[in-house]
Amino acid sequence: MNAAARLALVEGWPILLTTAVVGTTFGVTARQSGLELTEISGMSLVIFAGASQFVAVELLRNGAAVPAVILAAFLINLRHLLMATALRPRFAARSFAERLGLAYILTDEAFAMGVGWYRRGRGTVTSYAVFGTALWLAWNLATVAGALVSDRIAEPRRLGVDFAITASFLSIVALAVRGRTDVAIALIAAGASAALALSGASVVAVIGAGALAPLATFVLPRARP
Amino acid sequence: MSIWLAIGGAGLATYLVRLAPLVMTLRRPAPAAVTRYLDALPIAIIAALTGPAIVLPNGVPTMGPEPVGAIVALVIVRWRRNLLAGVLGGVVAVALLRLAL
Repeated sequence: MNAAARLALVEGWPILLTTAVVGTTFGVTARQSGLELTEISGMSLVIFAGASQFVAVELLRNGAAVPAVILAAFLINLRHLLMATALRPRFAARSFAERLGLAYILTDEAFAMGVGWYRRGRGTVTSYAVFGTALWLAWNLATVAGALVSDRIAEPRRLGVDFAITASFLSIVALAVRGRTDVAIALIAAGASAALALSGASVVAVIGAGALAPLATFVLPRARP
Repeated sequence: MSIWLAIGGAGLATYLVRLAPLVMTLRRPAPAAVTRYLDALPIAIIAALTGPAIVLPNGVPTMGPEPVGAIVALVIVRWRRNLLAGVLGGVVAVALLRLAL
């Protein structure tokens, strides 16, 4: 295995482990909400976006109309528009077909790890692709496993495992910030998204805070190298 | 049947959102202000992902394990300059606090 791929697994294993745990939880939840194995697995293959899959299951369980399910997924995943925009320069040299694949494996976790590596001058598109593919495998296998064992399992999210993804994102930001302006933007983004979520606007919390916080770059002094 | 329509539609909406910025072509170079905004964007998005997960984990407001775990992770990663150390420190702190509380 080459260095770029090894980096993806050496630093990414806590997120992969958590993804497997959350994926199992999703399989259990979806099965207990009355979905069939094929539908649950199909959802993970076709949508491949954790939060919106949980919301879709909840909406379907409550008999929501098809357009409502689609609109919810669109709004929840709109943040990926920002992520793809930020990754665009890194992927620009890749072929059209490769970009089709890189977009399919674009998740919060793959984005955060990829940016973390770029910011520290390590890793390449290969690291992102290997990590994104490993996440895809973990999520899809765990989903099926959860759906199959759903009648024999209680809440599998135990102890602190589910916190590994948040802790990874925090650590990536802490290692990536350069100067006070970066720190200020990170604090504004985290504070604003927390405030939005607490006030009930969870669906737009990440995209709202993520899109507005960078505007601080125009009023704060430029970071000195 | 309508479940598969919902799955297909949600999947298509998600994929197009992820794909559009990667395949659209620009007619001219982006203005300096746009470039500056885009430079600040990645950190803002990753930080924004953490806010709700810290104060509203699994949809329930908390002042307990998660905020403390976040501080522990940040302190350790700034001290050790090592990603895994920060992640494991945060997870262990949250696990211990959940057992204790």
